[in-house]
Amino acid sequence: MSEARVFFNFAVTADSHRLPAYRDRRGYGALEKALREMAPAAVEAEVKASGLRGRGGAGFPTGMKWSFVDRKSPVVYLCCNADEGEPGTFKDRWIFENASHQLIEGVLLASYALGVRHAFIYLRGEFDLPYRRLCEALAEARGAGLVGERILGSSFSCDIIAHRGAGAYVCGEESSLLTSLEGFKGYPRNKPPFPAVKGLYQAPTVINNVETLATIPWIIARGGTAYASIGAEKNSGTRLFGISGHVNKPGLYERPTGYPLKRIIFDDAGGVRGGKGLKAVIPGGSSTPVLTAAEIDGITLDAESVQAAGSMLGSGGIIVVAEGTCMVRLLRVLTRFYAHESCGQCTPCREGSAWMDEIVGRICAGKGEEGDLERLEGITRGIMGNTVCALGDAASMPVASFIQKFRDEFAYFIKYGRSMHAGRLEV
Amino acid sequence: MIELKIDNQTVEANEGETVLQAALRSGIEIPHFCYHPCLSVAGNCRICLVKVDGRPKLVPSCNLPVAPGMTVETDTEDVRAARRAVMQFITLNHPGDCGICDKAGECRLQDYHVRYGEEESHSREPKHHRPKFSDLSPRIVLDNERCLLCSRCVRFTREVSGSHQLGIVERGSHARVERLEGRPFDDPYSDNVIGLCPTGALLSRDFLYKSRVWYLEPVRSVCTGCARCCSVNVWRRQREWHVRALGAELNRAAYRVTPFENPAINGPWLCNKGFDLHRRMARKRALTPLIGGREATAEEAVQEAKRLFAAAGNPAVLAFAPASNEELAAFRDGLGRRVQVYTREDYHTEPGEVAEDDFLIRGDKNPASYSIRALFGNRPYAPAARHDLVVIWGERVDYHALGGAKLIHLASFEPAGETAADLLIPVSTTFERSGTFTNFEGKVNRFEKVFDKPAQVLHAGDLFGRLVP
Ligand SMILES: Cc1cc2nc3c(=O)[nH]c(=O)nc-3n(C[C@H](O)[C@H](O)[C@H](O)COP(=O)(O)O)c2cc1C
Ligand code: SF4
Ligand code: SF4
Ligand code: SF4
Ligand code: FES
Repeated sequence: MSEARVFFNFAVTADSHRLPAYRDRRGYGALEKALREMAPAAVEAEVKASGLRGRGGAGFPTGMKWSFVDRKSPVVYLCCNADEGEPGTFKDRWIFENASHQLIEGVLLASYALGVRHAFIYLRGEFDLPYRRLCEALAEARGAGLVGERILGSSFSCDIIAHRGAGAYVCGEESSLLTSLEGFKGYPRNKPPFPAVKGLYQAPTVINNVETLATIPWIIARGGTAYASIGAEKNSGTRLFGISGHVNKPGLYERPTGYPLKRIIFDDAGGVRGGKGLKAVIPGGSSTPVLTAAEIDGITLDAESVQAAGSMLGSGGIIVVAEGTCMVRLLRVLTRFYAHESCGQCTPCREGSAWMDEIVGRICAGKGEEGDLERLEGITRGIMGNTVCALGDAASMPVASFIQKFRDEFAYFIKYGRSMHAGRLEV
Repeated sequence: MIELKIDNQTVEANEGETVLQAALRSGIEIPHFCYHPCLSVAGNCRICLVKVDGRPKLVPSCNLPVAPGMTVETDTEDVRAARRAVMQFITLNHPGDCGICDKAGECRLQDYHVRYGEEESHSREPKHHRPKFSDLSPRIVLDNERCLLCSRCVRFTREVSGSHQLGIVERGSHARVERLEGRPFDDPYSDNVIGLCPTGALLSRDFLYKSRVWYLEPVRSVCTGCARCCSVNVWRRQREWHVRALGAELNRAAYRVTPFENPAINGPWLCNKGFDLHRRMARKRALTPLIGGREATAEEAVQEAKRLFAAAGNPAVLAFAPASNEELAAFRDGLGRRVQVYTREDYHTEPGEVAEDDFLIRGDKNPASYSIRALFGNRPYAPAARHDLVVIWGERVDYHALGGAKLIHLASFEPAGETAADLLIPVSTTFERSGTFTNFEGKVNRFEKVFDKPAQVLHAGDLFGRLVP
C-alpha cells in the first residue's frame, strides 16, 4: 500500500479547504461513524491498533499517551500543538491551509475518546493564513453542528478554542505550551507531574501534534489495522516530510514511513541543486544530529532506521546541505536560533546556549582559539540531560554532531581564521 | 513512612516528600539554590541533580518524590561533573566582585563555588554586563550581574507576601529580575528577599557597606513592632572584632536585623518594620536621670523617687512600655500592689504603615498588650481619681492629660519636647536585657541581651522592688 495517502488525497483548488469540499471527500464520516457506532474506548482501541506515533518530534505512541490519562477526572483537556517552530518543519501549516477540517475532525475524535469537553489548538503566532483558515473552518463546522453542543445530535459536546502564541519556539514544548495557554510566560514545567496527570489548569491533559490528530479520521474511517499495514513495522503510516535546503524541488512530500531517505532527496526532491554533491543531511528538524552524505546510505524514513544512524526522525523536516557549504557558519545559524529561543529558566540551557553561540560566533569572526572545540563539547555535555525541557538537548545536539562530523572544517577555521569554503556558495 | 537509600544510608521519609528534603533532614548535603522549604519547587538552578538507580539521566532532587526502595547517589563522578558544569554556567557572567559585595561570607554561591565548582572559568568570552546597583526600592539594591535567576525573590512576592511585584522579564540569557512595570516595589515584606537571595543580587540599602558579615554575630531577640512578637536576629560586632580606633559606638551598634526562624510565630519571615527594629532602637535614648530638669545619678534618682512615693497619698502607675513578662511580674509583686494601676497602648498605626493583614502584621502595635491585659485588665487612666503622683512607664505620654499630679517618668527614649516630669528615670531597652514577651496568641517568645545597659540606665524590673518602703 505504498500509494496510501492520508493528506495528499485531493487536488488543491480555490475552495478545496472548505467544508463542502471536505464533505465530498467523505469528511466527517469518521466522526459520524464514531458517534453512531463506537464507544469512546473503541476509538482509543483503533488508535492503539494503528500503531500511530506522535508527529511532533518525540514519536511517542499516541494510543499509549492517551491511556495515561485518568478517566475518573471530571475534566480532561486536549491541546493540539500547532506551534511548529522547529526550523525546517512546515507540515502543520499545510494542514491548516488545506485541510483544517481534517484536523478539526481529528480533534473531535480524540476528544470523544478522551472525554474532553474543551479542546485547544495552540498556533504559533506567526501563522496568519493558517489561523484564518482554521477560524473559517471552525465557523463552518459550528454552523453545521459539528462543533459545540450535542454534536450531530449525539450526547457528545465539544468546543474547540484556537489560541495564537506570541512567537516563542519554546512554547512548542508541551508543558510550556500549557503555561503559555494559561496566560503565563512560556516556561516549561518540571516533570513530574506529567501533563497526563496534571496539565492545563491542573487537569489531566493530552498534547498531540497537528499531524498526529489529523491522521485520526483516516484511522477511524478505515480501521487501525489498515493504518498499521502502511509503512514500516514499528512506525506505521505515512508522514509529511518537508524537504528544504539545497534541493531542486523543496517542498512537502507525503510518503509512507520506511521510505528511503536517498530516494526522497534524489528522486522526489530532484537532487542537490546546481548539480553539487551532497554534503550532509539534517534529517528531522534543525535540532536533530547532522548526518554526513556517507551516513545516509540505506537509511529509511522511520524512527528506528534514523536512530540507528545516530540521529532522529524528529518532526520530519529534512534539511539538505550541498557540498561547498561552510558547516561552521551553518552551525552559527543554529546556535543563534537556540540561544535566542532558550526561555532562560534553567541554568545550563540559558547560559550554555548563549555561550556556545558566542564561541561559534567568535570562530566565524576568525577569532577562534585552540581549545574552543573541546570547550564547546564540554558545554554540550553540561547541558544535555541536565535541563528542565528538551530545548537544552535541541541546542546541544547540532553543536556536538557538527563538531564530531566536520571537525577538520572547524579546526581549519580556527587555525586560519577563515572558512575552508570561502566566498558565497553558488547553487 | 517510606524507606529509601541515599548514599548507602537508609533514610526514612514521609509520603509526598522529595529526595532533597529527606536528604537534608538526614544530614546528607545536596546543594540547592532555587529550592526553599517555604516556596514552590522551581527546579531551575539544576545544582541539585542526583543519580537515581535505574534512570538514565540525572534527576533534580528538589522535584523528585521519594519512593520505597529508591536508591539515590549524590556524590558519583557524573553528579560531580554536572555540578561543576552548573557552577561554570552560573559563574559564566557573574562579575566575581565578592570583594565589594556585602553578601560575601554568607553567600551560597560563594560557598558552592568553593565546594562544588572549579578554580577557573572555562570561558574566554568577555562577561555580559547588566544593570548594576539599581534601586529596586528605596530599601533594596539590585545587582542583575550577580543574580543567578533562581526566582526565589519572585516566588516570594507571588506565594508568600502576595504582592506579585517582582518578575523575570526577557528570555534566554537576557532574562533579568525586575519589578512590575511602572510600579514601586513597596511590598511591606520586601526585605525578606534580601535573605532569600542565594547571592549578592539583592542587598539592604540600610546595611550597605556597614560591615563585613564575618565581623558580626547574631543574638536572638524579639521585634517589638506589633503584638505578633516575631523572632529576630540582632547583629552585633563580635567581641574579638571590637574596634578601638574607629569609635566605640560601633561596638554597641545593632548593624542589622534579620529573621530568626520561629515556626510557631513568624516562620522565617519578618515585615519591614521588623527589619527596621535596630533603627527604631537607635532613636535618641534617655541616658541621664533628671530631677526637676537637673541631671543626676541613678542613685539620686532612686532616692528622689522614694521620697516622692513617701509623700504621695494617692499614687498611680500608668503601665505600658515594651515591658517583658519578667518586668511585669516584678512590678505586680512589688510596687503594683500599693498603687492604682492603669493600662494604656503607647503605639498606634503610623501614617504609611500597614494597619493589619492576614499574614504577620497585627493591628495592635504593642508587644506587651497580652500580658498587661492578663495581669491588669484594660483600665484607662481616670483623671477623676485625682492622683497626686503618677508613674508613667512607657512612651509618648501627654503629660498635660495627667492633670497636676507629680510625675515620675520611666523612659527608654528621650521624651519628645520639654520634659515636664518631676523625675525622669532612664530604663533599659529590650536590647539591654533578656526576657520574654507573650504575643497576641499567648505564645511566649524569648529575647536575649544584645548589649550591656549604659551606666546611669536602670532596669525597670530592679527598680520596683526598691521603691517599696
Ligand atoms: C523545544 C521544543 C519544541 C517543540 N516544538 C514542537 C512543535 O512546534 N510542535 C509539536 O507538535 N511538538 C513540538 N515539540 C514536541 C512536544 O513537546 C510534544 O512532544 C508533542 O507536541 C507531542 O505530540 P505528539 O505526541 O503528537 O508528537 C517540541 C518539543 C521541544 C522540546
Ligand atoms: S532547557 Fe532551555 S528552554 Fe527548556 S526550560 Fe531550560 S532554559 Fe528553558
Ligand atoms: S535576585 Fe536573588 S533571589 Fe532573585 S532570582 Fe536573582 S539570585 Fe534569585
Ligand atoms: S509583624 Fe509585627 S512583630 Fe513581626 S516583624 Fe512585623 S512589626 Fe515586628
Ligand atoms: S534546587 Fe533543585 S533545581 Fe534548584
